[in-house]
Order: sequence, then C-alpha cells, then structure tokens
Amino acid sequence: MDTAPREKIEMDFGYSPEQEALRDEVRQFIDDYVTDEVQDEIENWGEGGRGPLVRELYKIIAERKWVGITWPKEYGGQEGNRLDQYIVEEEFSRVGISVGGAGSGAPAILAAGTDEQKKEFLPGLLKGEITLALGFTEPQAGADLAGLQCRAVKDGDDFVINGQKMYTSSAHYASHIYLMARTDPDAPRHRGISIFLIPMDTPGITVRPLWTIQSDPRAPSKTTYGQQRTNETFFEDVRVPRSCMLGEENQGWYVGAMGLNLDRVGASRYLISVRRDEDIINYIKETEFDGDSPAQDPAVRDKLAELWIEAQVCRLMTMRSMSLVNRDVNFTYEGSAEKVWAPEHGVRTTETITQILGPYAQLLHGSDEAIEDGLFAHNVMGAFQSGINHGSVQVMRDQVARRGLGMPRG
Amino acid sequence: MDVLLSEEEQMVKNLAREFLEAECTPALVREMELDELGYPPSLWQQMANLGWFGMALPETHEGQGLPLTYLGIILEEVGRAIAPVPFHSTMVAALTIVSDGSEEQKREVLPKVAAGELILTWAFTERNPKYLPETIHTEAKKDGGDYVITGAKLFVDNFNVAEKCLVVCRTSPESSSSKGISLFMVDTLSQGITHTPLVTIAKDKQSKVTFDQVRVPAANMIGELDQGWPIVENMLDRGTALLCAQMVGAARKDAELGIEYAKGRVAFGRPIGSFQSIQHMCADMTIWVDGGQMLTFEALWKMDQGLPASIEVSQAKSFCNEKCEAAVRSSQVIHGGIGFMMEFDLHLWFRRVSAWSMRMGTSFEHRARIAQMLIDQPGRVRLGMPLTPVA
Repeated sequence: MDTAPREKIEMDFGYSPEQEALRDEVRQFIDDYVTDEVQDEIENWGEGGRGPLVRELYKIIAERKWVGITWPKEYGGQEGNRLDQYIVEEEFSRVGISVGGAGSGAPAILAAGTDEQKKEFLPGLLKGEITLALGFTEPQAGADLAGLQCRAVKDGDDFVINGQKMYTSSAHYASHIYLMARTDPDAPRHRGISIFLIPMDTPGITVRPLWTIQSDPRAPSKTTYGQQRTNETFFEDVRVPRSCMLGEENQGWYVGAMGLNLDRVGASRYLISVRRDEDIINYIKETEFDGDSPAQDPAVRDKLAELWIEAQVCRLMTMRSMSLVNRDVNFTYEGSAEKVWAPEHGVRTTETITQILGPYAQLLHGSDEAIEDGLFAHNVMGAFQSGINHGSVQVMRDQVARRGLGMPRG
Repeated sequence: MDVLLSEEEQMVKNLAREFLEAECTPALVREMELDELGYPPSLWQQMANLGWFGMALPETHEGQGLPLTYLGIILEEVGRAIAPVPFHSTMVAALTIVSDGSEEQKREVLPKVAAGELILTWAFTERNPKYLPETIHTEAKKDGGDYVITGAKLFVDNFNVAEKCLVVCRTSPESSSSKGISLFMVDTLSQGITHTPLVTIAKDKQSKVTFDQVRVPAANMIGELDQGWPIVENMLDRGTALLCAQMVGAARKDAELGIEYAKGRVAFGRPIGSFQSIQHMCADMTIWVDGGQMLTFEALWKMDQGLPASIEVSQAKSFCNEKCEAAVRSSQVIHGGIGFMMEFDLHLWFRRVSAWSMRMGTSFEHRARIAQMLIDQPGRVRLGMPLTPVA
C-alpha cells in the first residue's frame, strides 16, 4: 500500500507534537511549582482571590508567556494559536489556578478598547496585576440583562454613576469593575447601554458581601461553583472620566456580548462541567463498602458510561468553539449550544453521583466519614449554577433556536 | 486540532449533497421500498462514476486513498438523502479486504468495487444478536482444499443483490473464546445457500441466510485460520462508525424538516416555531445531532490515524442510537398527526434512523464496552486522554 505521507486535507482531532510538548512542559512546571504549600493556600484562601504564593506563581506563569497567547504582540501576547492557550488553561485549571482568558473583559478590551486602554489594561491583566469584577447583573436584570437600570449620566467630561450591581463575585479583591450602565434611558433598551472600566477605589463604590450556600462549611476548591462569597456593589455618585468608557457610547450591549460569548466556552467552563465524571470513576475504582463496590453494579456502570459519552460531547463542543475562534469565525449558535449541553451534563453527573453514593453524598466538608472532603455533596449545591450565570440554559436555547435556526420571535 | 470540515471536505460534501438532492428524491426512496432489488442500478453506477466507492480504497487498487473522514462525509450525505443503495455493506466488506485481505483478494475485489461492478455484504449475527465471539456457531470445516460452511445468519444487509459476502465462522470449537473465529469470502450464489427476506421498519433489504454444507476454497479465507476475531472486531467498528455517519445525516435532515415545518405551521394565530416550547425542542435536536456528528467523526479520524478507536466508536453509536432517535421522534412530535401519515415523507427518515439505532450494537452493549475500559483497569481516567483497552 502507498505509505507516502499525504498532504493534510482532513479535519483534525489531535494535538500537534509541539502542542503535546507544550502540555508536557506545563505539567512539569505544575509538578515543580505547585507545591503542597501552594495547594494548601488555594484550598484555604478564604473568600476568594489569590493568595501571596499564587500571586507570585502567576508572575512566573506570565513570564513564561503562557497567558494571552493569542493576543497581539504589542500588548504582551504572541499572536499564537487558541489551542495552545487552551492547553495551558486546562492544565492550570485542573490544579485550581485560572490563567489565560482573564475573564470576559480582556476579549472586549482587545476588540473595542482604545490604544490607551489596551496599553493600560492588557499587560496588567497578563501579569495578574489587574483583575476585573464583572458588573452586569442587577437585582431586576439577570437573564434579561438589557433591562438594567444602573445609570451613567454625562456631566461635562465626566459620567456620574448611580445604581446597584449583583453577584459581582470578585469585587472585594478586583482592581477594576467592568461595568454595564445605561447612558440613554430614552433609546431602545439595547441601544442605550455603555461599558466602563472603573478602578474599584473610586469614591462612591461600596461592596457588601453576599454569602452563598457553600460558605458554611466552605466547599473544597474543586467544587463546581464552590464560591463562598459573592457581592453586591453599590454606586453612589461615582464620578469617572469619559476615558473609562470602553467602546462607543450606547454601544455597550454589543461590546459586552463579544466578551460574554467567549466567556461561555473554554477550558474552565468545560472542566467545571466534566471533572466530576473523572472524579467519580476514579473514586469507585478504588472503593468498596464492605467488599461491595459500585464499580461492579451493572446499572452504575451503564450510567457512568453514558455520562462519560456526554462528557466527550462537552469536550468536542469546546474543541469546536476553539476551532471556530482559531479560524476567526464568529459563533452563530455554537457557543450557546455548548452552554446548554455542558452545564446540564454537569448537573446530571452530580445528581447521578448522589444516587451512587447514597447517604455518603450528603456529607459536607469537614464531616466525619465525608467522601473526597465533601466534594460531591458541595457539588450538588453548586452544579446547577453553571446553567444559570453568563446566560441561562433557557436563554441559550432561545439563542440556538433564533440565531442558529432562524426561528421567529414570539 | 481543527474539528471543523477542511475546505476540501466541505467541497466534497457540497457536491455530494447537490448530486443526491437532484438524483435521489423521496419518490425514488418510496419506489425502492417496493422494488425487488431495492436499489436503482443507474444511481449506483452514477455514484461509482463520482468516485465514491473508491474514495477510501488504496490508490494501488484503483482507489483514491482519501482519509476515512471523506467516506464518512459521503455516507452522511447518503444518509441525509436516505439513498436506497447497498453502499454501507459494500464498504464495510471492501475495507476489511483492504486491511486484512491477501494481495490476490484485493486484486480480485477492489477495482470492481471502485467501478461499481461488485456489491458486497457481510454476515455476523446469529440467534443471539450481541456482537460477541461466543454468539458465532456457524461452522466452517476443513475438507481437502476447501472449507464447508454450515449455519444460519440473521440481519444480513443487501444479501439479495450482493455477489460476495464475508461470513464470520467458527473454525475451532472453543465456543466462548475469541480464538477459533475465521472469516470467509463466499459467493452468494454458491450451492447450499438459501435466503429469506426480513420485513423491517426501514423497509430495506435484510435477509436470514442459511448455509447448508456450502463449499468455499481455502483461498477465500481472509486473514489466518482461527485468528479472525480482531479482523471481525475492526470490521464491526468501521461499520458501526460509518453507520453512525449515515444516522447523523438522516437525523439532521429529519430535524431540519421539523424546524422548517414549525416556522410555517400556524396555530393559536402564530407560527408554532415562535413558541419557546417548540424552539427549545429544536435547539435540543440540533445539539444532539451535532454531538453525534462530532463523536462519529472523531472515531473515523482516529481509525484513519491508526489509533485505537473502539471506545470512540462505542461512544458515537450509543449516543447516536439515543439522541438521533430522540431528534427524529421530536420532529414527528412537532409535525403532529400529519407525520404519521403514509403520504407525508417525514416517516421515510424516521423509520430509517429508528432501524439503524437497533443495528450494529445497542446502547447498552456499547456502554458495557466503554464501562469495561473505563472502570475495570487500574490507573486514573482523564478526559481527552486515551484509555488503554482491556487485554
């Protein structure tokens, strides 16, 4: 048979040798640098954010040029492949360190920022010196975000902001807030919104903690939505210069959407939806209760195989999104589809685990007899959150139907 | 890594779709359900002329040596058009000859397959429909320079029109072992063969075939004596992945019919496609078929790369069995009563996707195979990393 190497003319489900080498390099780095002390800090760093050891580590990661790989060179990136960034993100996410994407703010700054804004924010985001709290949701505007009421009123060269934001999860340690506010109350809802990047120490901003059901006892760090704390953030006559605005005035809806679409996909969203699949399989492989193992129960085996297949679909949808981003193609529905399938899968696995482990699955962090430090129990309380935030699965299905399939509005 | 179609693949797909939309209408599909042969020879010849049958065969034997994903794309389009042609069974057998046949067998079979002059099929299943070696009781006994085959096979595709059939036989009595299996290429007109058509949901051509002392020259054995199981397993894996491609194509078209119907059908004063309950069904149908498609093409790609792909094949088939079926059932539901009517075309797709979900491994069988690889081995599992198969 003809064995001459053929030109690459087909789809590709594998990583290149260079990418495999990158993965090995990152894994080696993790072995060397993510010591027990670092892991202990990640596990025990109270209310969120980064502890001193992780902050230090983050600088080294940035020096290795493992953050912002796809960004333009002039802002510290390498104009590299999105899959390379994905590989780095996946490996670090697995040890509880979030790198790479810098949330939904960075893509929006790259797409819509002025040159000054890019210079001001991007290198700092790369090094972890700048962190952005997401200030979109309000008490009366969640899934229906375009109904937001937080006002930014022009006053000379400034804007004066008044209002309240909900679930601003990192507001208590972020350097800036990435804020969506209404600049034209008379325009149609989507066309009167602007985005601002505002330092958190600006006078008039108050952050009040909101404690989640994961806070007492606190969830293990690997838990899907194991955050103990989020916040509500109040703006009272907060005066900011116009230079804080990202993108054009009243175009904020569209600027924000660019980032959100990319926020819904990628290594971290994928992993929070599928890691329990690995965890439960690895757990039951080594576990028996009085000589009886769930690993030998045909019903359990069938269900775990089913979930494993679903998890592969999560992985492939992530790879599809990465492939589209790499080709510079905008999503029509693919990101939304992924944001339906992956979170709902995560819930199915989480709830199946409770029926595999029975009463043990109730036991929270710190309890006597708790399995995996209470991970599975805490996951029950957090998994469904993934289907709610950054676009609920219901809104995502609307988008698949309307944008992807061209179905009419009601 | 780029899981989207390449430019070349997209081109091949578009051409295949255009051709089949013009040449393979629902009317033709209906006609062939009642036809004795079950396929239109003229369409078959046109497909051969387009190079589809030689696409995945080696260039040394009149083929084009293209990656298996290309054949998957063609079968996806054939599934989309639910084209009534003995394509799948011919390819399953031909690719087995490519991978395990002798040079002489290749020379005898492959150029004719590429030219559309030879229809093939394969026969595995007997009374117990599982895809396990211990279900094989059909016996092949050595007699001089021949083997003599006796037994019965079920659910043999296109036997009525195939000229040759790859028959999985037991050549050694260890009845529950994977040893002792051999594969033979048998002329379907050989003395001692009788076949009875089965009436199926898909109204396709499947047969019960009995072999009563059927004499086959030893030279027709594919691979080594008693060493046939790995060959058969690969044949089944390839066949399963290619069937998934067909299912995905048919389910996609069926889902699209449901979505388009919803946009046009007015009830309660508005198109039912404007109701969220219907929109969300359509979103799910799309997500399911997308999932099946990606699992299928990952399996085909891995096979093409020579990587272990059994688990990927089982992932694809188990998922397609349930999700493609759910998609076409949802499309029926969206259509309401009219989808249940013989004169309306939707059922042509629905019945085929349903039937294909029952063939080449049930969801339970495939998940049992996955569970074995997932759970019964030492070491930790990690998504995206290969699982080593159980020895």
